[in-house]
Amino acid sequence: MQQAAEIKLPRWQSTKRGAHLSVNGFVYVLAVCVAVSALLASWLPLQVSVVTLFLFAGPHNWFELRYFLLRLPVRFGRSRTFFLAAFSGIGLLTVSYVSLPLLYNLNLWPGGDWTIPLAAWNTLMLFWTGLLVWLRGKQRHTRDWSLTIPVMFILISVNWVVPQLFSLAIVYLHPLVALWFLDRHLRRTRPEWLPAYRRSLCALPLIIVGMGWQLTRSSPLADDNGLFWRITQHAGAQLLPHMSSHLLVSVHVFLEMLHYGVWLVALPMIGKPAGFWDVKTVPLARHPLGFPRVVGATLLMGVFVVALLWFGFAVDYSTTRDIYFTVAIAHVLAEAPFLLRMI
Amino acid sequence: MIRKCFAAALFLMASAITIPILADIARPNPEKEEKFVTHSGFEIVPDGKAFEARLEIPQALWKDMHAGLTQIPTNPSLAQRIAHSSPRTIVAGLFLFLSFSFAGVWFARSGQRKQRITAALVLGLAILGAATIITRANAGPPGYLRWQGLPAALTEGRTTRGGIDIVVVPEGSTIKLIVPLRKTSRTPGEE
Repeated sequence: MQQAAEIKLPRWQSTKRGAHLSVNGFVYVLAVCVAVSALLASWLPLQVSVVTLFLFAGPHNWFELRYFLLRLPVRFGRSRTFFLAAFSGIGLLTVSYVSLPLLYNLNLWPGGDWTIPLAAWNTLMLFWTGLLVWLRGKQRHTRDWSLTIPVMFILISVNWVVPQLFSLAIVYLHPLVALWFLDRHLRRTRPEWLPAYRRSLCALPLIIVGMGWQLTRSSPLADDNGLFWRITQHAGAQLLPHMSSHLLVSVHVFLEMLHYGVWLVALPMIGKPAGFWDVKTVPLARHPLGFPRVVGATLLMGVFVVALLWFGFAVDYSTTRDIYFTVAIAHVLAEAPFLLRMI
Repeated sequence: MIRKCFAAALFLMASAITIPILADIARPNPEKEEKFVTHSGFEIVPDGKAFEARLEIPQALWKDMHAGLTQIPTNPSLAQRIAHSSPRTIVAGLFLFLSFSFAGVWFARSGQRKQRITAALVLGLAILGAATIITRANAGPPGYLRWQGLPAALTEGRTTRGGIDIVVVPEGSTIKLIVPLRKTSRTPGEE
């Protein structure tokens, strides 16, 4: 019944371009991308941050949306509870995140501690993630996922001790989730590339340590205008005053570039060749019981939002950046259920 | 039952008496009260070449002192942020307790060796977290222990380090340093 209800998800056949790409070629492209990203992020962190966000933030969100649509079944079947919890959680958490500034100003918190609503939001997010893991664990009896509960409680505890640092950790860890997606995707489509890819990942901490070694004593970045101040604050310059803001922004920009690289280059490169615009490549639209119009309208709306984002960046970069990073929490949250479905 | 009711009534009566008594105490005069400003590290350095005693105050500490006097919000350190937010520490402790409990149950139920190792690691993490919160919550050994060696250190020209409470007092014209020294050596007659 379950098999009948859920459509067969695409196997992601190798592309012509992808078929010619050997393991060595893949590792070579990966190494060049990582090296160039690290160099640019270390050399001109603020400028590169502005440019990469302008160029890639919107398109990478569109590619993520398309990827999630590809992985969405036509009928949820016995995954109904999982998807219901996932989508309602994404909606509620996004709305509450957007309203956090309003909650800060209410000043209802003991001792005026405005980090309490932030810690409460992080707690809700961790509970939601724990719930999704538990629901996923119920579907997959081959693994025992119950250890997630004590780990979740430890993370909640850490969050209540240092809520701002916990939120900053999410800022730095979120780009790495894309690498996990790529790992899962390679495992399904190109398992022969997986060992090389995982070996390449070992170089990542070394590169970050190298950046730290080079930049730890560098002078702080000139955050004398509103935009540069926002960028340094986003990277944690205020929370980690003993660390060079140059290092913090560089590492953050480097990780963001990897994130964009995975969604815009790596995953499409090993995915289906033809047509990002062809709605019929999405199983949810292709299936006789599917929703081609809804999928088409969603993707078209996505293109419109990307164009609107570019327009907003061109007119008022700082304000658009603030709005983007507030609303973009939705795509951060959306990655959790789809990643869990791939584990 | 009657005894319990009697005890409860007695407790309520005692409370009712105590509260008015406390309420009748005159309010302290804030102008004549000393004011705790901040706590910091303190170092006494004997210098054979100096002609005048000198008080060196780090800029960050000076800002703290200034903020403590004028109630200006500053950018507190991580430890200060934890120490000054008891609701958050309580919630953190509660979740750590839950983590410890769930990990313990998981450990007891896990049969395989690999699972036991993982559970032990999680338990270890929980214990480490608990230890961190407890050490933040407790001040550690009393501060005067660090000052015990001051006389000998001054004689020998060595540096002594310890904690210090910076307090602003309403009266006086000189800076006063009060060093907590306890008598540790016993005279022969004391035994």
